[in-house]
Amino acid sequence: MSLFCGHAKIKDNIEIAPGIYHMVLNCPEVAEDAAPGQFIHIRCTDALSPLLRRPISIAMADKKEGTVEVIYRVVGQGTRLLAGKKKGQMLDIMGPLGHGFPIPPWVKHPVIVGGGIGTAPLLFLAESIREHKLSSAGSPELSGCEDIMKTGNSCGKPAKEFIGTVFVGFLTEKEIFGAELLKDCGFKVEICTDDGSRGYKGFPTDLLEMYLNDGPSPSSGKVSPAIDIIYACGPSPLLSKVASMASRAKIPAYVSLEERMACGVGACLGCAVKSADGGYMKICKDGPVFEVSQVTDL
Amino acid sequence: MDNKSIFINICGIAMKNPVMVASGTFGFGQEYAGFYDINLLGAIVTKGLTFEPKAGNPPPRICETPAGMLNSIGLENPGVEDFIAKEWPHLSRLSIPVIANIDGDTVDDYHKMARRLSSLEGLAALEVNISCPNVEKGGMAFGQDPESAAEVIKAVREGTDLPVIAKLSPNVTSIQKIAEAAVSAGADAISLINTLLGMAIDINKKRPVFHRTFAGLSGPAVKPVALRMVWEVYEAVKVPVIGMGGITTWQDAVEFILAGASAVAVGTGNFLDPLAPIKIIEGLKKYTAAQGVRDIGELIGSAHLFTGVKSRFK
Repeated sequence: MSLFCGHAKIKDNIEIAPGIYHMVLNCPEVAEDAAPGQFIHIRCTDALSPLLRRPISIAMADKKEGTVEVIYRVVGQGTRLLAGKKKGQMLDIMGPLGHGFPIPPWVKHPVIVGGGIGTAPLLFLAESIREHKLSSAGSPELSGCEDIMKTGNSCGKPAKEFIGTVFVGFLTEKEIFGAELLKDCGFKVEICTDDGSRGYKGFPTDLLEMYLNDGPSPSSGKVSPAIDIIYACGPSPLLSKVASMASRAKIPAYVSLEERMACGVGACLGCAVKSADGGYMKICKDGPVFEVSQVTDL
Repeated sequence: MDNKSIFINICGIAMKNPVMVASGTFGFGQEYAGFYDINLLGAIVTKGLTFEPKAGNPPPRICETPAGMLNSIGLENPGVEDFIAKEWPHLSRLSIPVIANIDGDTVDDYHKMARRLSSLEGLAALEVNISCPNVEKGGMAFGQDPESAAEVIKAVREGTDLPVIAKLSPNVTSIQKIAEAAVSAGADAISLINTLLGMAIDINKKRPVFHRTFAGLSGPAVKPVALRMVWEVYEAVKVPVIGMGGITTWQDAVEFILAGASAVAVGTGNFLDPLAPIKIIEGLKKYTAAQGVRDIGELIGSAHLFTGVKSRFK
């Protein structure tokens, strides 16, 4: 297997919400092989500090265009440098790395649970699920969602079919991103905010719990099939709640974990997560996506 | 293309270039095979192995520092038998020397490891880790005292006919005394440095970042210390020195060679740039050509000629 390590041209790097950036990179090599849930490992400076690369999950990859997109929040030295990069500059990246979200052929009703910046890889996942479902159903393939930040009609036609359900939560209305894309991919999207500025006031896991207890709300119209898989990415309390609800409901669930990384390829053993059968697994190589029963201490 | 001017032979380990990858930063080789042909390297040193499997330390295991990083991995490894069953088959197919890094809780562990690994056909050498700062028993404790360092090296020497490389800890008062003790006990080469003991504190939790409080510092931040120690050990012993500590560029590698290293290893530098070892090899070829050096061996330790202190060439 050949992995890309080199420079990619920045096509765009814009602030889409306070402290949250959307970067588009021209990198056909990574776009070609990327799967949802995988990440790229970015060197934020040519200088020796900050020393290590930053792992950022892929928010979209377009094979046809040869583009890879990421959405990141400025949290420290590395992401601050990244936010300062200008369109046209080159960026040193490695990837695509890690194991992403599996999309089994039997999936009828996937549920996606996202929290804050953790929603980023779920956009790529949603689009991939839509493609899988439509191609396996024999429908003509719809054009891809070319720009994840465009709203409304950017997907050609929004999928008519019901693809799945999304529960996403953000701190506040201003930080919401990706909702339109998720809708265009055929997902029913329920939004919540911590401060109640939009949608339900609370966490996406509250919505998931209600859904699992009561089924779809009457407003959702036609009754959808039972949930048969759950995907989640977000802060660790969100992941641990999803894990416990999923195991109670006996639904397979996949979560994407985050940890500081050094090598990003499984060589240094720096990003460990306790595995259910004792010992540790590598978040960068064995994950970052894990089936919830594989890992403990979520 | 092979370039004869940078061939080097260290205690019987023939390498087509003096650039190795340091133990613990390169897994068992496969991790980087997706980026380039690892047969281009001078040699590979495996992740540290112990007799029994080791789970390693609970996270967090790494913390970035100015121009460096701290690690507290805790020698996580599958154990020597699992290594032989699962990793040796692909490693043995490489065309370059593979060196096994070994670590033990007791002197006897090192002896058993040496015996077991010596049965592998094609293994190039043993690197004896008496310098890991991140384990409860053994490791660095052996490497901080000349007598215990000698005891471990002697036990390994008695268990193998392979070249024995002693990997030293910089966390000592006199690196020369430890190096001399290791060589008297039978070490064929010295590699240094392992990580420098350091720590970090989480100011929000108001407690050390790492469960074991102290961790190992590596990366460009440690380079001047590593270079000084290579310099000192070169003056103290007659065996070849393998230099490492913060090497990220070919210029760094040249400095180590001029200080007395017969070969160098890239460690943390792999994390910044997986292609760093390859770029260093190319840089060394260009440097030797530009300097009119026909054999890189001529450069080893040559900076000592200008200092008036004792050197093997003067």
